[in-house]
Amino acid sequence: MDKHIPPRLDVFLDISTYLTGFPLIDLQSTGMAEVYFNTIVAHVNPQTIDQFYDACESILKLKSTEAINETIEKELIPNGNYAGLGQKIILMWYLGTWDGNVISAQSYTQSLVWEVAETHPPGAKQPGYNSWSEPPIKINC
Amino acid sequence: MENNTTEYDVVIVGSGIGGSIVAKTLSQAGKKVLLLEAGLEAGMSFQKKEAFDNYMGYLNTFYEKAAKVPNSPYPNLKDAPSPDVLDIEPITACQPSTKGYLVQAGPLPFGSDAWRGPGGTTMHWLGSTPRMLPNDFRMKTLYGVGVDWPFDYNTLKPYYEMAEFEIGVSGSVSEQKGPDVDVERDYGENYQFPMKKVPQSYLDKQVIESVPSGFKVFFNGKEHELQFVSTPQGRNSIPNADYPYADIVWNKSSGKLQLQAEKRWNTFTKAYEHVEQRHATYSPVGAVWDDHQGHRCEGNASCVPICPVQAKYNALKTLRKSDPKHIAIRTRSVASKVLTNEETGEVTGIVYKKYENPSSSVFESHVAKGKIYVLAANAIENAKLLLASGIANSSDQVGRNLMDHMVMLTWGLLPKKAYPFRGPGSTTNIPTMRDGEFRKDHAACISPIDNWGWGWPKFSPGSDVENAVAQGMFGESLRNHIHHIVPRQLLLHFECEQTPEPENRVTIDPNYLDNLGNYRPVIHYSASDYMKKAFAEYKKVSDQIFKAAGVQDFTEYTTDNPDHVEYQGKVYNFWGAGHIVGTHRMGNNSKDSVVNENGQTWDHNNLYLVGCGNMPTLGTSNPTLTMSALAFKTSEAILNHLNS
Repeated sequence: MDKHIPPRLDVFLDISTYLTGFPLIDLQSTGMAEVYFNTIVAHVNPQTIDQFYDACESILKLKSTEAINETIEKELIPNGNYAGLGQKIILMWYLGTWDGNVISAQSYTQSLVWEVAETHPPGAKQPGYNSWSEPPIKINC
Repeated sequence: MENNTTEYDVVIVGSGIGGSIVAKTLSQAGKKVLLLEAGLEAGMSFQKKEAFDNYMGYLNTFYEKAAKVPNSPYPNLKDAPSPDVLDIEPITACQPSTKGYLVQAGPLPFGSDAWRGPGGTTMHWLGSTPRMLPNDFRMKTLYGVGVDWPFDYNTLKPYYEMAEFEIGVSGSVSEQKGPDVDVERDYGENYQFPMKKVPQSYLDKQVIESVPSGFKVFFNGKEHELQFVSTPQGRNSIPNADYPYADIVWNKSSGKLQLQAEKRWNTFTKAYEHVEQRHATYSPVGAVWDDHQGHRCEGNASCVPICPVQAKYNALKTLRKSDPKHIAIRTRSVASKVLTNEETGEVTGIVYKKYENPSSSVFESHVAKGKIYVLAANAIENAKLLLASGIANSSDQVGRNLMDHMVMLTWGLLPKKAYPFRGPGSTTNIPTMRDGEFRKDHAACISPIDNWGWGWPKFSPGSDVENAVAQGMFGESLRNHIHHIVPRQLLLHFECEQTPEPENRVTIDPNYLDNLGNYRPVIHYSASDYMKKAFAEYKKVSDQIFKAAGVQDFTEYTTDNPDHVEYQGKVYNFWGAGHIVGTHRMGNNSKDSVVNENGQTWDHNNLYLVGCGNMPTLGTSNPTLTMSALAFKTSEAILNHLNS
């Protein structure tokens, strides 16, 4: 394994799948995982980050998806917990933003909201002439 | 102060569509042109690499901006500041808002922006190009409202055709309909647009199909048939093989600009070339950095604020056709005063401030000299420059009659997914409220169907995600929620024609200066009862359409919105359309207008004004096409003036 992969990136990605509702492969294929992981490092104090990932690790060990989601809702979603990291991680993946600021040009074009809305980020990944006069193409892969 | 000794035939201020049309037309006719542009030279480069790099810089800035408002990709310079919709805030009594470049004296803030830089506001315009209706030119005679234009629709018709060529309009002539539209009368028997219509969106079709055929809406005490029309627009589509023209040329012997089929300007050889019959089809004009890109709209869905491939028209495409042998362009050159000879009234020069660093207040003053002067700096800047110079104002109309389309938005959820946030911003409009006897009582409007969901009023889909997350939604339920809501979003515009009011105006005040010591525009703005009544009537129209189409209404008007009005106990919100019009209107005499029918100022024989400021009334159409037609008319008049 590449020694430069930050420790706990896997925890960040695993908890992100539950927070966003997207499978791991979709998150990884944005190419944004390390950028978002490091955005947290840049903005949140290290102790809070550690406590957050500790909590994530215990949640991820729970037996059922139901239990995991219930605990996420109680532990990670309330804004008072872990500097609001639960909600902030969702917004990073969906909108490419941190505290309302776009993290990078790529974080905008890779933000997940557009796929959920069955379209593409305006100004990027253009689907071509006349595409708008038909329903969007569903790409199954 | 340094005097530039070269004397040009014409000095033009501003490189937006008005200035670019004049610069192109005059330089191609062999006249020596000096163009002054307040913005940076990077945006003006026609070297492939520089033009591409600069434009990709704009695109990257757009990606990185959180609020993707019309000016978001473009530099806002301290030395040539631009109005920005993000600066709009409520105005408290007797306390103007000075947050942005505009000093907003109120009582309501002016809701529109513009961009001061190469290409002007066409860099972020949407590109809709409907013509005005014949009745729009006769508002006073027909409805007792506003003023009549100094000429009728037919006078402007040949210039409309030139503007449609220059912009590269895609549309279907035969589909045009609605009140006061008669295709044969308005367009002529065989007229075609240069390119075929931009396909209407899937969303448009869902809305049109959801309304019963022959459906009537009730407003102003009468039933009116609801119609839907494909919108002509300045973005590249499939060339129309039936379009007969190759270019606009100056015919010196007749003293006319003419659309013709024999020759066309070649942007690469910088000369006219003979057109072979087999090549007579219209050629879409591509990106300024590479004419092979942008020959079709690619569905980026970001026309406002930036078309990544330049399939949408912008004024740089016109400016690039100028004959380089006859044009000099000076950037970072902010016109600050027009000099006149007090005895003769002739303009003798334009003082401009040349800066090196756009954030520094250091500048050098120069004087540009020509035989004829053209101000094409947008309606607010033209008025400001005239007022700052104390000229052209014997009518006391300079700065007055500032107008915009006051856009009342309504939004809701369609019963089925129609998939917004795809394609050009709007491809269909409702013409039903564009003309009728009701204009005696309240404003007319055009009503585009918006293809971009609730983006404008609610910042969707970002705000939908933020609100859902703030409520505790996450994971699959969040994903399902957004997936269920956003593809059903519908937004309608009711773009209401503001009438000329003398107190809606641009003024100047020595207390408000910019970084170079130039005046900042002071804007006085309000909504008359004629407008408020229109909001009330059209909200009812929206209710009827929503009901017929099974749309769940989520429209919410609040007093938190800086542009809110109350009418008969109800609050309405409106938004600016970016259609800044009317501050130096044309007319039949010097008593109540600033310029004549050719844009020539009554007070100064060699000073012409170009731009939406010339329009006496607004009509319901987006004004760029009409303003461009007027710019061709003015170009023709200047050529005749120079040759006389």
